[in-house]
Amino acid sequence: MDMMEKVSETALTKPKITKQRRLPVSVILSLLWTGVVVLVAVLANHIAPYQYTALDLPNRLASPFHPKHLLGTDELGRDVLSRLIFSVRISVLVALGATVISACFGTAMGFAAAHFRGRVEQSILMLADFQAAMPFLILSLSVLAFFGNALPLFIGLMGLYGWERYARIARGLAIAASAQGYAGAVRQLGASPSLVYLRHILPNISSTLIVSMTLTFPEIILMESSLSFLGLGVQPPMTSLGNMVGYGREYMTRAPWIMFAPAGLIVMTTLSISLLGDWLRDRLEKGLQ
Amino acid sequence: MFRFFAIRVLRAVLTVALVVTFAFIVLRLSGDPARSIMGDDASPEAMTAFRREWGLDQPLWMQYFHYFAAIFEGELGRSMRGGVPALDLVLERIPATLMLTLPAFLMKLAIGIPAGVYAALYRDSVIDRAVMVTAVAGYTVPSFVLGLVLVQLLAIWVAWLPTGGTGGLQHLILPIITLGVGGAAVLARFVRSAMLEVLGQPYIRAASAKGIPWASVVRGHALPNAAIPTVTIVGFMVGNLIAGSVVVESVFSWPGVGNLLVVSVAARDLAVVQSILLLVAAAMVFSNLIVDFLYGVLDPRLANGNTGGDH
Amino acid sequence: MTANILELSGISRSYSTRQGLFGKRVPVRAVDDVSLSLQEGQTLALVGESGSGKSTTGRIALGLERPNSGHVLFRGSELPPADTPAWRRMRAQMQMIYQDPLAALDRRLPILDQTREPLDIHDVGPASERNDKALAMLDAVGLNAGHAASLPSQLSGGQRQRAVLARALIMKPSLLVCDEPVSALDVSIQAQVVNLLMDLQRDLQLSLLFISHDLKVVRQVSQRMAVMYLGRIVEYGETRLLLSNSVHPYTRALISAVPVAGRRTRERIILTGEPPNPAARPAGCAFHPRCPIARSECANVSPAFTTLPDGRSVACHAVDGHPPIEEVGV
Repeated sequence: MDMMEKVSETALTKPKITKQRRLPVSVILSLLWTGVVVLVAVLANHIAPYQYTALDLPNRLASPFHPKHLLGTDELGRDVLSRLIFSVRISVLVALGATVISACFGTAMGFAAAHFRGRVEQSILMLADFQAAMPFLILSLSVLAFFGNALPLFIGLMGLYGWERYARIARGLAIAASAQGYAGAVRQLGASPSLVYLRHILPNISSTLIVSMTLTFPEIILMESSLSFLGLGVQPPMTSLGNMVGYGREYMTRAPWIMFAPAGLIVMTTLSISLLGDWLRDRLEKGLQ
Repeated sequence: MFRFFAIRVLRAVLTVALVVTFAFIVLRLSGDPARSIMGDDASPEAMTAFRREWGLDQPLWMQYFHYFAAIFEGELGRSMRGGVPALDLVLERIPATLMLTLPAFLMKLAIGIPAGVYAALYRDSVIDRAVMVTAVAGYTVPSFVLGLVLVQLLAIWVAWLPTGGTGGLQHLILPIITLGVGGAAVLARFVRSAMLEVLGQPYIRAASAKGIPWASVVRGHALPNAAIPTVTIVGFMVGNLIAGSVVVESVFSWPGVGNLLVVSVAARDLAVVQSILLLVAAAMVFSNLIVDFLYGVLDPRLANGNTGGDH
Repeated sequence: MTANILELSGISRSYSTRQGLFGKRVPVRAVDDVSLSLQEGQTLALVGESGSGKSTTGRIALGLERPNSGHVLFRGSELPPADTPAWRRMRAQMQMIYQDPLAALDRRLPILDQTREPLDIHDVGPASERNDKALAMLDAVGLNAGHAASLPSQLSGGQRQRAVLARALIMKPSLLVCDEPVSALDVSIQAQVVNLLMDLQRDLQLSLLFISHDLKVVRQVSQRMAVMYLGRIVEYGETRLLLSNSVHPYTRALISAVPVAGRRTRERIILTGEPPNPAARPAGCAFHPRCPIARSECANVSPAFTTLPDGRSVACHAVDGHPPIEEVGV
């Protein structure tokens, strides 16, 4: 293992080759789309033509390109475009909150495992194995059954998704840095553990963690939308992308747009962020070689 | 060798115990069972009697112990709706779920593994790119979207297949495809990267430099070594056979375990949810054990214990 | 006689490792009953192959690891346990430099920030003056303001080692442990760094524990040296004496392996047998399977230290009747 750590350490410390390469078209498009989604989420109040709960009873199930409703209306005459815009806000909020919670929690657990070793490390690794082995959908469904689905609880629950990946990454890199790397050297200078972990190890592993976050983010969007689709995630009157698909599906023969607009948005968004994440990961790996 | 498997079995038992503990904690945290079952307007005397009857007045560790003992005897409580034993309710749904998940599992293997191997062997070819694009699409399109698109195309517009429900074989086609495509994409991507990893190893280059025909190198060295990580993800798919179709069953109104789970969660039928959770955990642990045994077979280093390293 | 700044008495350290992935745990003795002392302002060299326990000894001397038995005395008092506040305060007095300076530096911080970090950690002087102090220290090791602003990856190996040295010395420690400080550097740079180290030692009254396998460097920097083999000291005494007239067969083999310019013929002692493996330590004298003059007792009885008239100690059964060999010189 000593040897392995040395090898990975030298691999990590090679200077980065920063070649000026042109961004692939798919990455540019993904970036643009992600930017649009973020803007829509932030500015939902200002750009939505209607409130997402506003009813327009005379124009129920209006088709897209209706003069008052660009994307048509649903069974209660609510504007699909406005609902879509607010759904984006909720879905992004849930996924972002969950990703941040998961990354913080996982990294903290990884650092704890690396710092204390011994029994603490064993139990954290066992929890991580358990989390990785159980299908998250089933686990979260059981928790939802017991606790109900208030939004903060739901975000917290989604925040448990994927924490074990950050924990493994943080633990591995922290151990490598302490064994014969900069972290061991800084400890030897008399630095307290919090300084070693927060000022030195965290900035050094942040790029790996960020890549991991971009890869986990779309998975959380999928998990959230699946649960909401099943009617067990975000609850009406609040709306999220999965929840729109779930309720829209009852009208799929008569008004397929209610369902396919949010479905398309989910696919576009997860696809963009996945492509971005893959590209970032490749860049990082190339930079390290 | 014995030690290796003994550790694995011990860990499997521990994992199940962890799930039981998880269920116990969640159950106790979710509120006073006496109040939730008897209702808010029950008299204090009736509550006390209920608590005594169910052992809820005992210290928590005793309750925990009894909970374990009950589960060990297969007593998982009764469904709130109808009062039938929860476990029976779940078990009778399993065949329906397996009718979807087993064929879908075979489809994943039949498509995912060859596609991944092929993509790795002909890296950057048109086929590799096609496999990669499909794979990315496969895991970014949620299964309910894929299912609904298939329904819209094949059941509503051209009306070749039913939109859902049970009946003849034609009812199985759409759900199985929906399940299989996503899994095949994930598997193909995984197999491809496992193969690429192995193909980049020095021993592969050494073998082909020695003049061994490329096909034999692939068959003799690359495939067996790429199989080792692949077994893990296939094992996960096996463990997921029981409850891996929650969303798809819901899309196609298929009366399997997943549908039961969703309905029970919505109705807060805790005994049923807990039974499903424990069954899934047991299936996962069992398939993990099989994976570990397979590892012992596929990777002689593990069984003989001469890797030299500790961690 | 000057006082000892560092005294190790009878320290042992063993690790447990598994044989194989799931095999039994076996203890590996990395350091076994080692006693050394370092005088104020002097340099003690610790020599041996990899796996001989010299780096572990260095880490124990700094209190980074605790010995299983034995004592470490720094200026006459025992080191506090690692990672306690008292231990952290001690870091100002004892520092270390490493074989791989790039690994020891944080790749993301400019050299200046890393050099002033000990001042921040130990809260020395007003914050506004710390940069100036760091720049002055960097200047003392031969790095200018341009180097101070760069990242570790933008410097050469020798410059990085200078930066590590500046960081270690900015607290004005009295003990510096150098773990193979020049072996990762180009030969042309090695001499520069060694000379810098010796200049700084003189200017700052540093005491050095110099861990190396390079006998030429050891000869240049150290007054005393100890040769380690599989966790034990086999010969310990004045560097000059050991290099010119070594007694232990292992020391002699090490010395004979050093190439000497201008001398074509020299008896070379080629060691046979397995290279030392701490996990499978031979019984008796650990060196006996490779020793050219091993006798029957060497396989069973571990040799005790004999102190020779010239002050050195040797652990070898053959030492009494053995004629000193001619000067080989390094």
